Amino acid sequence: MRRLLRFAPAVLVATLALLGPWLAPHPIDEPVTAPYAEPGGGALLGGDVLGFDVTSRLLAGGRELLLTALVIAVVVTGLAALIGTVAALRPALGRIIERVADTVMMLPTVLALLLVVLAYRGDSRGALIVAAVVVGLPYAVRVVAAAAAPVAASGFVEAAAAGGERLWWLACREVLPNLRATMLAVFGLRFIEAVYVVSVAAFLQIGPQPPAANWALMVRENGPGILLNPWAVIAPSLAIAALAITVSLATDALAVATRRQAVVPR
Amino acid sequence: MAVGLTRRRSAYLAGLLARRAALLVVLLTLVFAAVDLLPGDAARSTLDRGATADALAARRAQLGLDDPLPVRFARWIGGLATGDFGVSARGEPVSAILGGHLPNTVLLAGLAFLVTMLGALALGGLSALHPGRPLDRAVSSASTVVVAIPEFVVASLLVLVFALWTGLLPAVTVTSTSGRPASASMLVLPVLALALPQIGWNTRIVRAALTDELRAPHVEAAVLDGLSPWRVLTRHVLPGALPTIAAGAATSVGMLLGGTVVVETIFNYPGVGTVLAGAVLDRDTAVVAGTTAVTGAAICAVLLSADLVRAWATGRRA
Amino acid sequence: MTWRGGNNVNLTRRQLLRIGAGVGVATAGGVLLTACGDDAQGTAGQASSGAPRKGGVLRVGALGKASAITRDPHGVQNNESDFLILSLVYDALTVPGVTSNVAPRLAATWEPSADVKRWRFTIAEGATFHDGTPVTADDVVWSLQRLRNTPAGKTRLPGVEADAIQADGTNAVTLTSTYANSELPLLARLTTFTLKKDTADVAGSPGTGPFKLESFQDGNARLVRNDAWYGGDVLLDAVEVRMFESPQAMANALLAGQIDLASNVGAVAARVAESRSDVQIVKRPNDMAMPIVMRVADGPFADVRVREALRLAVDREAMVKQVLSGYGTVANDVLGTADPAYDKALPQRTRDLERAKRLLTEAGFDRAKTYQLYTTEDIPGLAESATLFATQMRDVDVKIEVVKQESSAFWDGTWLKSPLYTTYWGTNDSLVFFASKTMASDAAQNEAAWKDPAFDAAYQSAVATADQTVRTGRLKELQKIEYERSGYLLWGMADGVDLAAAKVRDLPKLGGYGRVQLERTWLSA
Repeated sequence: MRRLLRFAPAVLVATLALLGPWLAPHPIDEPVTAPYAEPGGGALLGGDVLGFDVTSRLLAGGRELLLTALVIAVVVTGLAALIGTVAALRPALGRIIERVADTVMMLPTVLALLLVVLAYRGDSRGALIVAAVVVGLPYAVRVVAAAAAPVAASGFVEAAAAGGERLWWLACREVLPNLRATMLAVFGLRFIEAVYVVSVAAFLQIGPQPPAANWALMVRENGPGILLNPWAVIAPSLAIAALAITVSLATDALAVATRRQAVVPR
Repeated sequence: MAVGLTRRRSAYLAGLLARRAALLVVLLTLVFAAVDLLPGDAARSTLDRGATADALAARRAQLGLDDPLPVRFARWIGGLATGDFGVSARGEPVSAILGGHLPNTVLLAGLAFLVTMLGALALGGLSALHPGRPLDRAVSSASTVVVAIPEFVVASLLVLVFALWTGLLPAVTVTSTSGRPASASMLVLPVLALALPQIGWNTRIVRAALTDELRAPHVEAAVLDGLSPWRVLTRHVLPGALPTIAAGAATSVGMLLGGTVVVETIFNYPGVGTVLAGAVLDRDTAVVAGTTAVTGAAICAVLLSADLVRAWATGRRA
Repeated sequence: MTWRGGNNVNLTRRQLLRIGAGVGVATAGGVLLTACGDDAQGTAGQASSGAPRKGGVLRVGALGKASAITRDPHGVQNNESDFLILSLVYDALTVPGVTSNVAPRLAATWEPSADVKRWRFTIAEGATFHDGTPVTADDVVWSLQRLRNTPAGKTRLPGVEADAIQADGTNAVTLTSTYANSELPLLARLTTFTLKKDTADVAGSPGTGPFKLESFQDGNARLVRNDAWYGGDVLLDAVEVRMFESPQAMANALLAGQIDLASNVGAVAARVAESRSDVQIVKRPNDMAMPIVMRVADGPFADVRVREALRLAVDREAMVKQVLSGYGTVANDVLGTADPAYDKALPQRTRDLERAKRLLTEAGFDRAKTYQLYTTEDIPGLAESATLFATQMRDVDVKIEVVKQESSAFWDGTWLKSPLYTTYWGTNDSLVFFASKTMASDAAQNEAAWKDPAFDAAYQSAVATADQTVRTGRLKELQKIEYERSGYLLWGMADGVDLAAAKVRDLPKLGGYGRVQLERTWLSA
């Protein structure tokens, strides 16, 4: 029950973000006020850089962020589960995987983002997902590999291997089911990290296109008017913080048992 | 520990060093190639809007962009060995650009790292020593809150509260004619914006590592032996927890350096983060590669120190 | 005779500072407009200025990126901060002026040959370098040839080959153009920086300007007064240039009193400062044009009725109000709004949705399709203008999707090619500039791929004549054709906006590049 309570805020924020676009009182791309107008009239949180309604854009600006982060977290966790387990089952391959992971981990996140996203001319969301997966995967693989190593070395897996079972069968049937707690924790952390990456990318203005509303983009594009209408910056900042914090709380509830492996990537 | 540096040990260390160096070279190759693959090139970026095809070709030749990628990479990495980082697309020596800005970033990231570790050790330590108490719960919740918030959000809120509303601290860094921040107060907000998320992260690691170690049999034995708590902490608990804490700290250094790109932009801080962001947009391969080389080397060195701490701690325990 | 030629300048940058507005493209903005213009708001502190006073240090903020720093006076200066420093240390042959488009600087006078191909510039008397040696014709020739031989040289001194730059005696140089060019003195504005002959290391080499470089570090510089300047008394003891990555950071520094002048800081900063009595807001009209380009040669906008329809569908007042925060003026689809010959008699286009819809139907425009409007974030307001334009076009059932491109991709793949995109220009005091650069059939940067024989004829006869009356007539004709048929939709003109502390007096009031002329500025006690 207490556990459920810790999930409630995350569910609430996520639901708001998903349903927000339908709740917005104004169109997100039609001026209703002067640029950076203070709250008042029909605009509860005032106007943004072009005089669009901040409240409406706030409600509309979470869904894409949330969904993109979700896709990234799912892909990273899925890939990490496979690669990490294989690394544990095949130590020779594992060493190579570890080397590759080490290399990628040295690449500063922001640089990776800039490079991958700029290289794609068209599909910036796809590029962003690729970049975030590349950056996040090494950490996740290391955690999974570390957690899978003892399982792989345990008697029943060795017995199955001796019985001639194939690698994929071993990974999916024998090792992974024993790592459920770890995988959930990895997923939670990767989701938080994905929110971070997606919002930093939006902040660096790589990703979403105008007039799409996006919390991180709002922080950036309304920054110059922070003294005219602070809410245009504060509201989306708090929204990002709320999403990250509530998910982080939920993850904590999941990860009690595996916290240490999960937070320490090596 | 009394083993000293046996031959096996130094071979192990040399191996570690070689591996890290090899990784750095691989990384640089990747980055160099990646910048090259981006659409547009430095010749275009540094010419006038109306540049003719001839002008473009002349500029390409001048910048050496005509040579194949491997040749340019070889030339560049050969230069590195002699401390020559090449010249930027605008003809400025990269070493001069980095030389001016790197000390500022080292100062910023160094202070942020210091604040991070002091904060994390203090908070994590207090938490671990009083598990389950209100203090522990407060620290745990607070670290959960800050760990997940991106630096730019922290930075924007800090600026709003401490600079624009209350006027306690400068909102932006103004560079003096010496190229350094004009006053120390200008460092406070950028350092906090970088450090706060990392404090959250590291507090959790410190707390977890210390808690585990406190439960270890040799620590319990030491406590039963009647050793003073300080002695238990310094001689028995910390050494065991150190590898984990060092690994977390090493990761933080990478994240701090990454965070400087965003934080330096917001605070107008004259560091390499802003140089990097601009150089990627200009396709200025020499500047991007030079910046990556220096930060990559720094991260390498830090990871290596973490490896050494782990090696030392393992050897000590054996 | 000092012949005042046409209005052309060739300072164009492929890209400006992405975060700031324009160094490269800008030049002497509205000479007439600034002269009679917006003094009241801009220079409150200057009204009761009293007698100019010598002394004091002016701390100037200017936009610049650390990665783009250049110290070569003949290089491509994407940083406003670099250009400011160079302009104070070095002198160009001519500069934008208050009473005329072209004012003398290192060249005291100039005159053309009868066929308007050969121009002779005479060096100002008493001009010396900062190390005391006098400026000779050889120095000027060497510097101009150096400029001409840079990769960008051909576009900066068009029609003038390096060996067509020659000394004529010790105090004059001649430039011979391959074609009759009445615009040459205007072309010489601002980039023709003169260095000593055979300077090997140009960074920090002695110039001839009103200030001497004392120190330079990572884009920040301290400059001290040149007491021996031939151009008259310089009042400030020193100018300290601080580089800022973003207008926002610069505005914050000014409001906190960390700098005295925030150069080209933009409209949003001005609105913040409106409530501050201790800050002056300097508005420089006609600073930046951000037209929308509709491709004429082919594609969906080839039909002149479609282009007319979009020009009628845009809500110009709303664009100026929302995109420029009101710091700008409505325009009428003719570029070069600050030219003395700009035709104010052309009827101002206003929003007419019914007529726009009718024209679209007549032209058989496919309104089921979605059209891409490409833009960049090179300068503040550009991407925002595209966003709002797309929203407004929904009122005539034209679906437009804004695609914000990263700068390199935009200039490589979109510019000059796509059917619909935004562009920007900071040279707005010359009709002929735009005609020659972007609208004549053979112009290298014909942004809309527009070919119109009648327009070409009007343009050619305007540049070939020295008779001002004939010229004005031809320019009027040229503007009418441009107004009716070109590929441009120019909805408005952005003001250049500077902020300054109350004590700063006699700030530059010219648009664009004119903002760097700080030699007459002084500080009240």
